[in-house]
Amino acid sequence: MAQDDKTTTPDKGKGKAVDAPPKNDKATGDGKKKKKDDAQEELSEEDQQLKSDLEMLVERLQEGKPELYKPSLESIKTFIKTSTSSMTAVPKPLKFLRPHYPVMTELYEKWADGEDKVLLADVLSVLGMTYSDEDRLDSLKYRLLAPTQDPGAWGHEYVRHLALEIGADYAKRQEAEKDTTDLKDLGLSLVPFFLKHNAEADAVDLLYELEMIEKIPEFLDKDTFGRVCLYMVSMVPLLSPPDDIDTLRTVHKIYLNYQKFTEAMTIAIRLNDLDLITDNFNNAVNDPALKKQLAFLVARQGIWIECPDEDIAEVLNNERMSDHFLSLGKELNILDPKTPEDIYKSHLENTRGPSAAVDSAKQNLASSFVNGFVNAGFTKDKLMLVENDNSWVYKNKDAGMMSATASIGMLHLWNVDPALAVIDPFMEADDDYLKAGAALAIGIVNSGVRMDSDPALALLSDDKFLNSSNAAIKIAAIMGLGISYAGSQREDLRDHLMPIISDSTNSLEICAMATLAIGFVFVGSSDGEIAETIIMSLLERDESQFKEKWAHFLSLGLALLFVGKQEDSEVLLEALKIVPGHFGKNTSVLVDACAYAGTGNVIKYQSLLEQCNDHIDTSEDEKKGEDTFQAYAVLGLALVAMGEDIGAEMALRQFGHLMHYGESVIRKSVPLAMGLLNASNPQMKVYDTLSRYSHDNDIDVAINAIFAMGMVGAGTNNARLAQLLRQLASYYHRDPDALFVVRVAQGLLHMGKGTLSINPFHSERSVLSRVAVAGLLTVLVSLLDAKNFILDTNHYLLYFMVPAMHPRFLITLDEELKPLPVNVRVGQAVDVVGQAGRPKTITGWQTHNTPVLLSYGERAELEDDEYIALSHVMEGLVILKKNPNWEGRD
Amino acid sequence: MGQGQSGLPPGGGEGGKDSKDQKKDKPKYEPPPPTTRVGRKKKRSAGPDSASKLPTVFPNARCKLKMLRMERIKDHLLLEEVFVDNQERLRGRKGEKGGAEQRQEEERSRVDDMRGSPMGVGSLEEMIDDDHAIVSSTTGPEYYVSIMSFVDKDLLEPGCSVLLHHKTVSIVGVLSDDADPLISVMKLDKAPTESYADIGGLEKQIQEVRESVELPLLHPELYEEMGIKPPKGVILYGAPGTGKTLLAKAVANQTSATFLRIVGSELIQKYLGDGPRLCRQIFQVAAEHAPSIVFIDEIDAIGTKRYESTSGGEREVQRTMLELLNQLDGFDDRGDVKVIMATNKIETLDPALIRPGRIDRKILFENPDQITKRKIFTLHTSKMALSNDVDLDEFINQKDDLSGADIKAICTEAGLLALRERRMRVQMADFRSARERVLRTKTEGEPEGLYL
Repeated sequence: MAQDDKTTTPDKGKGKAVDAPPKNDKATGDGKKKKKDDAQEELSEEDQQLKSDLEMLVERLQEGKPELYKPSLESIKTFIKTSTSSMTAVPKPLKFLRPHYPVMTELYEKWADGEDKVLLADVLSVLGMTYSDEDRLDSLKYRLLAPTQDPGAWGHEYVRHLALEIGADYAKRQEAEKDTTDLKDLGLSLVPFFLKHNAEADAVDLLYELEMIEKIPEFLDKDTFGRVCLYMVSMVPLLSPPDDIDTLRTVHKIYLNYQKFTEAMTIAIRLNDLDLITDNFNNAVNDPALKKQLAFLVARQGIWIECPDEDIAEVLNNERMSDHFLSLGKELNILDPKTPEDIYKSHLENTRGPSAAVDSAKQNLASSFVNGFVNAGFTKDKLMLVENDNSWVYKNKDAGMMSATASIGMLHLWNVDPALAVIDPFMEADDDYLKAGAALAIGIVNSGVRMDSDPALALLSDDKFLNSSNAAIKIAAIMGLGISYAGSQREDLRDHLMPIISDSTNSLEICAMATLAIGFVFVGSSDGEIAETIIMSLLERDESQFKEKWAHFLSLGLALLFVGKQEDSEVLLEALKIVPGHFGKNTSVLVDACAYAGTGNVIKYQSLLEQCNDHIDTSEDEKKGEDTFQAYAVLGLALVAMGEDIGAEMALRQFGHLMHYGESVIRKSVPLAMGLLNASNPQMKVYDTLSRYSHDNDIDVAINAIFAMGMVGAGTNNARLAQLLRQLASYYHRDPDALFVVRVAQGLLHMGKGTLSINPFHSERSVLSRVAVAGLLTVLVSLLDAKNFILDTNHYLLYFMVPAMHPRFLITLDEELKPLPVNVRVGQAVDVVGQAGRPKTITGWQTHNTPVLLSYGERAELEDDEYIALSHVMEGLVILKKNPNWEGRD
Repeated sequence: MGQGQSGLPPGGGEGGKDSKDQKKDKPKYEPPPPTTRVGRKKKRSAGPDSASKLPTVFPNARCKLKMLRMERIKDHLLLEEVFVDNQERLRGRKGEKGGAEQRQEEERSRVDDMRGSPMGVGSLEEMIDDDHAIVSSTTGPEYYVSIMSFVDKDLLEPGCSVLLHHKTVSIVGVLSDDADPLISVMKLDKAPTESYADIGGLEKQIQEVRESVELPLLHPELYEEMGIKPPKGVILYGAPGTGKTLLAKAVANQTSATFLRIVGSELIQKYLGDGPRLCRQIFQVAAEHAPSIVFIDEIDAIGTKRYESTSGGEREVQRTMLELLNQLDGFDDRGDVKVIMATNKIETLDPALIRPGRIDRKILFENPDQITKRKIFTLHTSKMALSNDVDLDEFINQKDDLSGADIKAICTEAGLLALRERRMRVQMADFRSARERVLRTKTEGEPEGLYL
């Protein structure tokens, strides 16, 4: 019965040759003897025998002797069951019985109820498989009439066919609103068979068809649950809500049932359900090492939960982040600081004539950024932290000094206590810009790290900073709070920031930054109260203010509150309708995009794409900014699509069209969207396209494309991108703005000397870090109007990249959290969903000693069984346990 | 960068405060990004441009996940279509020039103007940078020329034929399709009429061929589900006249895949290196038109065991076989190309040729047994006008060593005999004498029944 009825419809090949004659027999019943001979001659003797046996049995059924029915049916059954055939042909008994099918169906109608009738229905159900077409669903009909039998007995193909008909019939009945209990029962009886026979996909599919996927846990056992869960998880981005959430919850339950706590935790994080996470965390385990591992997972996502145990709290707070990162640097021998010149390699650029001397302030500023990005987290550099009267800071002007000072924070990223000592002198400096820079630096240092002493809040909430009369200092303090407490959802921050928003005497700039900071702190919280307050305070302001450039960040701050929250955002969308002018529309597009970030939802994708359809004329002054929503929509396309591989690839195609047809507002946001879609994932086809755009006639497009190139390669040291950027540096050597962006892009490319990543997805690309999205999005939004932000005096906005920065290392630790070097294989991850057997999960691997760096799309696994990893994802910090069954090599 | 560009108009570089305009001229001075130009073509030819390629969908198994992923692609494509349509309509309304087609036509005619006529044909010797190359024309001298911007650079590779402008000798086009015309002959345009129904017996063989050749092309997911790689090729072997070629014809008749057929002897060419080249090209064409089936008849013409040989011709034949070995299971993945070979001397073939991995299945064709004989007889006589006294069982039951071809010959011969006597029906006697004749010629003059 292992044949495939779909592949060999009987009108093909051999089937035809042998199948046709029986029909001829009947048609030309007048006894053309020769022809009949022909027909018989086509069959071998065994076949002939079989055929006449079967015919005899069928005739017996027609004779009307009930006592013979049972044995005849039984023997037909045996014939069918014992037949084997290749997959290229229909089994012979079925073939020979096919002509008798109508007769038998008639018989069935005639027979009296009873055991025999059920038995007949059983046989008819199997025969129906060869006879049925789309609408008849005979197999199912007779199967339902013969309920007692075990359907699996008829073989795999039959069950599969039955499942198909169940799905079809269920949909039909649903439409007609009929009862479906019998179908559901039958479906459930098939599931164990599928699971037993290595067809998890079929089992899951059937349950999806019957809309009761939540039933699957009861059928699983320890051998099957892994594959089932894998399959279900990969379905999630393709399902329409609320199926996707249901699926994730079901999978979560399954993992918990089988004590797979790290897997369950990843799912819980993905669901963004704080109760589930704390539940998992607190109740599930008594194993301290495992608990620490769970804490690592939670800490990676930047979720702030409390834990009484000090060791675990330390992990949760990411306090040792800097130590781990530095130990990685030590292992890889990259502790030596690099100067910006090491990155530019300007001796390889071939510039002619007067070079960068045009605007040295801008170049120095660029160097500050590059220095910050490249040496991020290494605590050492050759520019800022060298002992000669901090001369580098004074090589910058005004706001440049602020950014330069803030870069100290970047250099000491995660390394809080020593950093405070370094920053301290600047806090007391006379110059306002230096003070502002110091405030920002404190915020940056604390990004993603929590200390008991809460230095960031303690220092920044000081009246000297947060309520300073100087706008720069005030903004820096607000930004610092936003960056350092991103995702923490702490109430006391609300108390500090909300008054600033509500106070309409503050300039829009300050109000916008405070909104943004609130957005960071409460990212993805869908806190309606905050949103409402913000909108109310906005309504108090004059409408004309919303035409200012800072309105961008008002929108963004609101949108960030709802990152990944899907329908929850509708409250805000309603509220936004009352906001006058185009600000409401702009914001609602951004909110919509953020709410569906990383879901791959096609409907949202479509509605965002529709926003890009119009060509808006903004030549008149009043209409300025009216088309901003289109830029948001383009970024939104990338945001929505990035959750899912297929959507992401298709979005790249779409960007080509947008670039071709779009107005300048769309064109300049497309490169940014591409950068977002492929952050820290340098793919040839992406940066080739971007490199083409980087020579665009529209300088805005070119600048954004250059920055996007930096994003695409961020933290990868990609040599080809480095070369492309060097070429751009010589190409734009006379344009200070473009050159500045080229430099920053170079800094991004070598971020953390190639150890960092800004990709918002982690844990094998399954979980979206909302904080990272917020950070990236802020930088991108500021680039939508690059001339007025980054290239003007607000270049410090680039520091919003910090929350997205995370080391792409794999460090293995023992149970005491001491580094434990082991050999791991690192290779390209392979999608093993739905593959037979136990396929390799990585390909083209190399063996390394931990700690190692993992690029985008790479996966690691332990070389041997000496240790057991407590986490299922070999990424970030992983605790290893000695394998008790380890017997040494060989 | 750096060297003087001879072919370019001067200016643009000097002075000029308008730095923006100046910039726009610059890209020409950019050193080209290092490209791996040589050998790129092969990769490209496999499919459309990588930027516009659709994502591949996994898993191959039949499941909802696959369906959903496919549907997702479909959704996105529909969105793209709607968007592009909308934009084209808007653009059409704005621009007075009319629809896209007209515009395209206009552009095309402009390109044609630029190309001029007549165009010379030359061959590309060397690429200098993205816009310049050295070409040699048939008349002799080599030129350093510029490449027009509208020329598809991806198609350019050293050695290809290019179109040259008659005055400036710049490259204005590429002549593609460098595959040997011989190969296009091999491609089967018209399917043979023989189908599986025309084969008497051979059920096992048919089944094996279909399993290893047709099914992998039609239903790769079946193999994936099982976790095995489908067979790459089969060899059909057995005594002459047992239906090897007939079966191949039936496969060609049945399949919708590209069917390339060659005879082993075709691969032996006059000039050194031509044979291996042809061999390579066949498989290249097959890969381009994948899924495809390559049928090599009489493989023993080139596939005989290797031995020390002093004759250059012999060695060339052996080299051709080595190329074939490489094509069958070499470094490059051939993808959806299946190979069927046929021979009646499998024992003379080189063992490397028929090892598993190159040829996974060896299918033996034997002389028909009684039942098969009956089938073959009925097949051949089914369209003949037989008189009532014909009883084929007589022939079937005789222990002659008849092949399928012999049986056909008997039937034909019997028909001819009847024709000779101007009868409208074939009689038993005709069959008998036909059998005599066929058997006599078959045993080459050793008449049956000559006992010593």
